[in-house]
Amino acid sequence: MSEQAQMTSFTTQYQVHHKLLPAVIGCACLFVAFALLVKSDYWLFIATQIVCYLIVAIGLNLLAGYTGQISLGHGALLAIGAYATALAMVDHGWSFWAAAPLGTAVTALVGMVMALPALRVSTWYFALITLAFSDVVNGMLGEWADFTHAFAGVVGIPMPSIDGRPLDATQFFLLSSALFIVCFVVVARLVQSRFGRAMIAIRDNPSAALASGAPLLRTRMLAFSLSAAMAGLAGSLFAVQKTVVTPDDFPLELSIFFLVVVRLGGAGTLWGPVVGTLVFFLVPQLLDSLQSWRMLIYGVALLGLMIFAPNGLVGAASRLFARGRKRAALEGFSGSNILIGSTGSVEPASLAVRNLTKRFGGVTAVNNVSLDVQAGTVHAIVGPNGSGKTTLLNLISGFYRRDEGQVVLNEIAVSGRNAAQIARLGVGRTFQTPKLLPSLTTLENTMLGGYAAEKASPLETVIGLPRALRDQNLTGRRALAYLSFVGLANRLGDAAGELPHGQQRLLEIARALLCGPKLILLDEPAAGLSMSELDRLAALLKSIRSRATIVIIEHHLDLVANLCDTVTVMDRGAVLASGTPSTVFSDPAVIKAYMGARMVNTQETAVARP
Amino acid sequence: MDPALLLAGIASGSLYGLVAVGFNILLRPTNVFNLAQGEIVMLGGMIGASAALGLAMPWIAAAGLAILAGGILGLIEETVAVAPVLRRSATGTAWVTTTLAFSLITSNLVGHIWGPDPLKMNPPAPLSMASFDLLGVRTNSYQLGVILVAILIVILVERFYRTRAGKAVQAVAEDREAALLRGIDPDSLSRWSFILGGGFAGLIGVLAAPMLNASTDMGPLLLLKGFEATAVGGVGSNRGALVAGYMLGLSEAIGASLLTPGYQQASTFILLLAVLMIRPHGLFGHQEVRHV
Repeated sequence: MSEQAQMTSFTTQYQVHHKLLPAVIGCACLFVAFALLVKSDYWLFIATQIVCYLIVAIGLNLLAGYTGQISLGHGALLAIGAYATALAMVDHGWSFWAAAPLGTAVTALVGMVMALPALRVSTWYFALITLAFSDVVNGMLGEWADFTHAFAGVVGIPMPSIDGRPLDATQFFLLSSALFIVCFVVVARLVQSRFGRAMIAIRDNPSAALASGAPLLRTRMLAFSLSAAMAGLAGSLFAVQKTVVTPDDFPLELSIFFLVVVRLGGAGTLWGPVVGTLVFFLVPQLLDSLQSWRMLIYGVALLGLMIFAPNGLVGAASRLFARGRKRAALEGFSGSNILIGSTGSVEPASLAVRNLTKRFGGVTAVNNVSLDVQAGTVHAIVGPNGSGKTTLLNLISGFYRRDEGQVVLNEIAVSGRNAAQIARLGVGRTFQTPKLLPSLTTLENTMLGGYAAEKASPLETVIGLPRALRDQNLTGRRALAYLSFVGLANRLGDAAGELPHGQQRLLEIARALLCGPKLILLDEPAAGLSMSELDRLAALLKSIRSRATIVIIEHHLDLVANLCDTVTVMDRGAVLASGTPSTVFSDPAVIKAYMGARMVNTQETAVARP
Repeated sequence: MDPALLLAGIASGSLYGLVAVGFNILLRPTNVFNLAQGEIVMLGGMIGASAALGLAMPWIAAAGLAILAGGILGLIEETVAVAPVLRRSATGTAWVTTTLAFSLITSNLVGHIWGPDPLKMNPPAPLSMASFDLLGVRTNSYQLGVILVAILIVILVERFYRTRAGKAVQAVAEDREAALLRGIDPDSLSRWSFILGGGFAGLIGVLAAPMLNASTDMGPLLLLKGFEATAVGGVGSNRGALVAGYMLGLSEAIGASLLTPGYQQASTFILLLAVLMIRPHGLFGHQEVRHV
């Protein structure tokens, strides 16, 4: 088998994509069968309501499950969609086909105005802002009487009609079901794309998202606006299905209910919210008889699920099945040289740091540091713990804001830009403790690094246009190539959290390489590596250097001496010495001040390492 | 504008500010914003009022009981809802859901035990709710007492953070591992923070009970008002919390004569969004340093 063919077969085998088509056909068959078999208006009413709730739940799952932003306002968003549609149809005589898009758009817009300030700050701000929003919407529905008819509600919402003939209950059920399937496909396509990986990164490890060039706020807003739009669409359907909407239809309880079904089924799994919603409707008697204890039950369920089954029913089930799944090794695969160059012509970049200063309160962590790194060279930063090495790296990569000074990449000043922007300019990095997404596979973690290389918009991704598919395929293949390049090809199906420490470091390097960096910053890549992994790292760095300039923080001085063109020694935030390894390490000031004792220690630990 | 209304606004604003100080007390060492804090305040109010009314306990004993109950509830919350998820991931935000769940449970249990009727609690002895004129402004001695106590508490809390122990607390918030190396046990610190924060919330409940009447509605109300004061004042700033609390109380007092409750909530909410748009970290807050 040729390497190319072998790789293609592995790509298909490890396609992270769930097979969507069978799911869609299966769902559609179920819905049609239900519509054909069930003639009772009551059951059609219930089934349509379930479908409305399913749409809200999968939308909330995109936001709360995948992106980790807990919304307590989805009941209120449902209300806005329902009221906008109902008022447009009843008071202004709009047809459903215009009113439903209006309801969807209004909900998304109101939601975005509400959410933007909170999404900029933090997860818990967002939870509380949405809680306050729920309160406000509920109050306004009751009190803005001229507009919402207050507690009398909006009455007599008609069925949508085609050619003047209104749909019957069965047809409306099928319409709702079809819209649910569309929403499901949208969520599924999105979460399996680079946007989905960025969302999961924001949930599990925002630094990983930033280092891969994924913008935090834009990604959160994408998840939220889609989620709100789905709640609005569900509201449009809900209004028609109920024919009357009143403020009492949308208590705060409803928002909590949606959180509970998402958690119960499995937040951050595709089918979780569907399973959760269905389970809830299968035990309605239980809840009816316990009406006054309902919120208590929700509370206990949320707490219990978070502690004992954070991935819900679907998570627990898939764990059972995963045990039996075979894990193929990528034996004999040596494609490291195939796709490495396929990112286009990446030229190593030069880096200049000018008088950079960073203070934390009264402590000056980095004090007036300057250094020059020629394009295509390897530059080491060494120094004792607390000497400001990692802070310097964080300043260069935009994770910290500088107080003074400049960072110049390829003659262009980049300081002042945020971490995601700097990553997109071609600065890859790793962290002192690897920042991975423990629940995703090794392959998916590597693919996160391809975020900035893909160009397809969310819309193209959701529709599945050729450019999006081509981009995704290329990212997958490049990820495979880089994984085998760093020696992890046999672990590509394993969860990153299960890898031993040394392999996690190598995985992070693969992810950083996937960005196609011109400059790569490595923070103690050799720490915790075994002897054989150390050899691999040294070989790796040698082959990277033709394509990217390397800045490396390292304590293994023999590695530094063998590999690096220039070295900067830092001490207490300032530069102590700078130059070639031989001159720096023989500098009497360096030896006297610091290196002498340290050199001996490092070599001892290196020898003692198993 | 009637100055008596404004004074009443400052007094309820002091309570909102104190709830926000309670959030800060927990946030500094644990990085957890306790969504059940409003319910602990509510429980404090209910227990204090019940002890004073039903058991005819003196105010000071009722307040002590409420503080104790708040501390115990805080400890229970830390044990069942916070420690397990922080153990799994110290930087995760699963606590948003678990503290929310804990608040639902507390609120419903208290509701089932006490029922929906609000309880009125009398102020401690020399103070009373009886009105009198102070420089031509209608007020009562309890109102003035609450305003003064709130200022006193903020001064004491700020002073605490300047002591050695206070600095240790902040050190843990900034770096759990480094604090561990210096002999501070973050687990026990987190536990003690919840006990103290819970006791503090219980005390706020007792202070609030004569003015707001203790009922289960108090929980969500004070959670939101306290959050608004925290967000406007700036996370971590206790002075900011009190000033923002005043602003909330005053706008409420002014709004009450002009707007119905729904519109009033909506206008406060829009103001909050506006403040966050312009100053995402509040009026007195500053951006936290990201840790990589």
